[in-house]
Amino acid sequence: MLIFSVFKTLTDQQVTVELKNDLSITGVLKSVDQFLNIRLDNIKVLDEARHPHMMAVKNCFIRGSVVRYVQLPPESVDTQLLEDATRRESAAQTKR
Amino acid sequence: MDESTPPPPPAELSPPPVPSTVPSGSPTDFLKGVVGKRVVVRLTSGVDYRGVLSCLDGYMNIALEQTEEHVNGVVTNRYGDAFIRGNNVLYISAAEAI
Amino acid sequence: MDTSSAIQEPFDLIRLSLSERVFVKLRGDRELSGILHAYDGHMNLILSDVEETILIVDQADGAGEGQPTVNMAKRKMDMLFVRGDGVILVSPPSR
Repeated sequence: MLIFSVFKTLTDQQVTVELKNDLSITGVLKSVDQFLNIRLDNIKVLDEARHPHMMAVKNCFIRGSVVRYVQLPPESVDTQLLEDATRRESAAQTKR
Repeated sequence: MDESTPPPPPAELSPPPVPSTVPSGSPTDFLKGVVGKRVVVRLTSGVDYRGVLSCLDGYMNIALEQTEEHVNGVVTNRYGDAFIRGNNVLYISAAEAI
Repeated sequence: MDTSSAIQEPFDLIRLSLSERVFVKLRGDRELSGILHAYDGHMNLILSDVEETILIVDQADGAGEGQPTVNMAKRKMDMLFVRGDGVILVSPPSR
């Protein structure tokens, strides 16, 4: 839930999603859901020569399970806030 | 299938030999018994982690101390502490008497 | 309190590593070193100042002939979300 919230705060920001098949897609994060499925707009594939079939694609939906990494804009991430929220969530889970 | 009833176990025979160091019991009893002991954790990839088992949870997430990573019998890394995500675990084996 | 006996469940190890540099071993012969800022029960992670090392093992063809050559590729990323299903191991800095 915490990570989902983080991604929600990053909507309309530019991110780079790296998939488990090594495809890297940069685009504007339009939306995210609880499975961390991701919708990207204005996309650009990093290595277009290797993935020519992606050249015409302007936006996409990425299933969360195929994601390896998402590179985030560092200036939009409050690391102190993240750490506090993580401690709170872990405390809430341990109490159950 | 064999219709005859199986013969009762011969009462005069001694029970199967169980090393006194191994308590009989459930897998949970085993896991409780190895906490704090030296263990070998083998991952599905074949990599072994040898260390002292700090604790584990229901997903078999594991915390190890003084961990050595063994690949093909060769030490490839050492970690003071290590968290192993449970889905990678093939087995946990006791490396000392429990 | 801050001895290792304070660890009651594996995730405590990770919680105590928040804002510290951690080593992460991933599937696909990848390793990360980065500062840990967030995690969840899936071991999804958010790390900053990340260096990724990819081990590329060029398996020399021919059975039992010579050593496979191992190449390392490194790259840096400022702020990174790591999906938990790829995580094998997380090691905090030695205390």
